[in-house]
Amino acid sequence: MRPRRQPRIAALLLAGLLSACQQEPPPPVPQNGYGATERAFVELSIATDEQALKLVDDPSLIENREAELVELRKLLDAPYVNNHAGHDMPGMPTDAEIQLASTSPDARKQFVHAHLTEQLEVLRSAGTAITHPPTADVVKLMESHRTAELTLTEP
Amino acid sequence: MRKPALQLAAVLSMIAATLSIPVAAQGEPVRVAEFVADCQLSHRLPDDPIVLPNLAGASHSHDFFGNHSTNARSTQHSLEGQTGNCNPAVDISSYWVPTMYRNNTEIAPTGITFYYLGEGVNNPAAIQPTPYGLKIVAGNAKATGDADSIARWSCLHAGQVNPSKNFVECPAGTMLETYLDFPQCWNGRDLDSADHKSHMSYPVAGGCPSSHPVSVPKLRMVLRYPVNGSTAGLRLSSGTGQTMHGDFFNVWPRAEMERRVRNCLNVVLKCDHAGNHG
Repeated sequence: MRPRRQPRIAALLLAGLLSACQQEPPPPVPQNGYGATERAFVELSIATDEQALKLVDDPSLIENREAELVELRKLLDAPYVNNHAGHDMPGMPTDAEIQLASTSPDARKQFVHAHLTEQLEVLRSAGTAITHPPTADVVKLMESHRTAELTLTEP
Repeated sequence: MRKPALQLAAVLSMIAATLSIPVAAQGEPVRVAEFVADCQLSHRLPDDPIVLPNLAGASHSHDFFGNHSTNARSTQHSLEGQTGNCNPAVDISSYWVPTMYRNNTEIAPTGITFYYLGEGVNNPAAIQPTPYGLKIVAGNAKATGDADSIARWSCLHAGQVNPSKNFVECPAGTMLETYLDFPQCWNGRDLDSADHKSHMSYPVAGGCPSSHPVSVPKLRMVLRYPVNGSTAGLRLSSGTGQTMHGDFFNVWPRAEMERRVRNCLNVVLKCDHAGNHG
């Protein structure tokens, strides 16, 4: 049995109305605009590419990342902050991996392969989520780079 | 000496019966402003619907508690109407933390409690229900040491071990535990913000600052991990113990949250899982 709360109905209704007013979701980002998903992708990709530059030693892989970073930084709408430093992110080599790679060519090969395959997965996910055309273009550029790089670095 | 208290309790019971306020069969009310949700690990995903929205597979690994449906694409609307694994079952909110590892083996927490508290502000009567759909991040996933961390690690049943911002070595037979307090002052306007932090603030000198004037329940997460002994090889998917952080996406049904704030926090009483006080 529910307890009777008639004296409180008016107060509850008022509270409900007030809370409904203040709990509307934030205004949506204009369709095809640079929204939260785009911003998150760009910041993540800058962090991943910058970290990967400490790992890769193939000149074409270095060149691709440097070109991507130029395009990614053009998309930023606020000063860049690395939100992912030190994290075990898909496609982002860790400091421990970079250290190990510097002493073992086999380790480097393995970590470069993991970087390429994992980042490709992230890029494919981003390709389905990002609607802002200039950001989508960078996703496509990076995806084509990683696909070609995988062929290049296959044993 | 107990007579006056007993008489008072009898009078209060009569008043409560008249007002249809639920009264526990035994014990006196505990003057602590608190209600609680005990949850379990629901699933593990490399997703983060707050920090990396819609980017499935792009995050460091997270352990998700509560709502079973949480993933990179979760929104207030996708979460509502789903089920979770918390007690009370009405709490279908999403909670998540970085995954813990010993070397490369995941370790799931076995005790997962979310306390909603009235402490931290001098006027608990002014606490408002947590806004529906509010997203809160606590802790610093980017911490580089103790100075920029608010993490707290200690040992369950081993109070002699000093708490630390990084993992601590717990004696055999005890468990590693971590506490995380979420900010409890809201700006009254935004359910999220670009940095996912600036719409919330911690109280200052017992009150919410004018920039964040709305006092909401203080969420305290307490996790217990089946870990003791050496801390060698222990890490979080975000790094050291100092990077412990927690995310909360509120989808408590509005009426359930409102009732608990009114019955437990505003009047400073400890409530059970159903939101009733003794």
